[in-house]
Amino acid sequence: MKSPLIQTARLAGLALLAFCAAAAPLRAQDNANFNIAIKEHHFEPAELDVPAGIKFTVTVKNLNDTAAEFESTVLNREKVVVGGASITVYLGPLTPGSYEFFNDFDPDARGHIVVK
Amino acid sequence: MRLQISAGIVCCLAALLTSYAARADFEMHYPVIDYREAEIEHNGSTSFDNRSSMNNNQSYTIELGYGVTPWWEPELEFDLAAAPGQNWNYNATTFENTFQLTEQGEYWADLGFFAEYQHAASRLDADAINFGPLVQKEWNNALGSGLNTLHTLNVLISKEVGRNRNDATPLAVSWQSRLELDPLFQPGIEYYGNFNNIAGPTTMSDPTHRAGPVIVGAYNMYQYGKLKYEAGYLVGLNNATERGTIRWRLEYEKSF
Repeated sequence: MKSPLIQTARLAGLALLAFCAAAAPLRAQDNANFNIAIKEHHFEPAELDVPAGIKFTVTVKNLNDTAAEFESTVLNREKVVVGGASITVYLGPLTPGSYEFFNDFDPDARGHIVVK
Repeated sequence: MRLQISAGIVCCLAALLTSYAARADFEMHYPVIDYREAEIEHNGSTSFDNRSSMNNNQSYTIELGYGVTPWWEPELEFDLAAAPGQNWNYNATTFENTFQLTEQGEYWADLGFFAEYQHAASRLDADAINFGPLVQKEWNNALGSGLNTLHTLNVLISKEVGRNRNDATPLAVSWQSRLELDPLFQPGIEYYGNFNNIAGPTTMSDPTHRAGPVIVGAYNMYQYGKLKYEAGYLVGLNNATERGTIRWRLEYEKSF
């Protein structure tokens, strides 16, 4: 009789493989991309215009030496971007409106995604 | 992302092979990691029932965690419990691992994996492993209502190990759906089901089912951190389950 630990590890491996296989076809299609830079204490641009009803990505490049955190409470996103690096944030589809984002490490730095 | 998934698989299996785990009774796990964020979290629950054997069953945890990488957050959990009519006991020390397998919003759903090892405080109790997938779906403008919703599913398998172990394979399913009305106030509903032995259904005792309303919220203090809370009331849906359970979660987190 095999030990419960080996049986459990096998079960875990099978569960994970099945899980990844099921997830593979679910990848989103290529999305429209928008760029934002964090420079000193502000976002550039501070306002992004995005069409309603589409999935899109926002590439956030941190031009500072120190880490920043792109965060939006209304969009339920929170992601650290270390100094000199960039991150991709996946968003949408969104209904028309203005969605605020900010740098959680420097909350004076704020901007909006305006969905039209 | 492939690298993250491969690393996640390796870490999951390593964690499973080197340690044992357990799960707080009523705690929803989310598959999105807050990288470089430290957190202290408290979960608690108390049951209510006319039957003394099911009344005032209490469980409390304190957890310390940190988002070590964008895809891995380990947590150390300290479990306290008081069974009906009994005094407090330090129950277990648990090493939890949450792995984020996909970028939030990149796929149809966000996927994660949870693996934990629980070391029982009493020599009379067995250690245990819990593991399984975490799935989260953001559904904006649900059914054209203009409301954004968030749905989370945990499916966790349990296995006791070591001395005094029970060879049963319990399964815990938890699900939460909530309206993202406001960051401070997000009402929803949730379900917790426990199936005692999925590997041997003929020996399975009655499963337990609980469902009820929940409120979730967060208050952002920016550079001073963030406070999060969850509060729910679960109604027992069958005779094997206590009539009601209050559960809550308080969390403070701060990025470094």
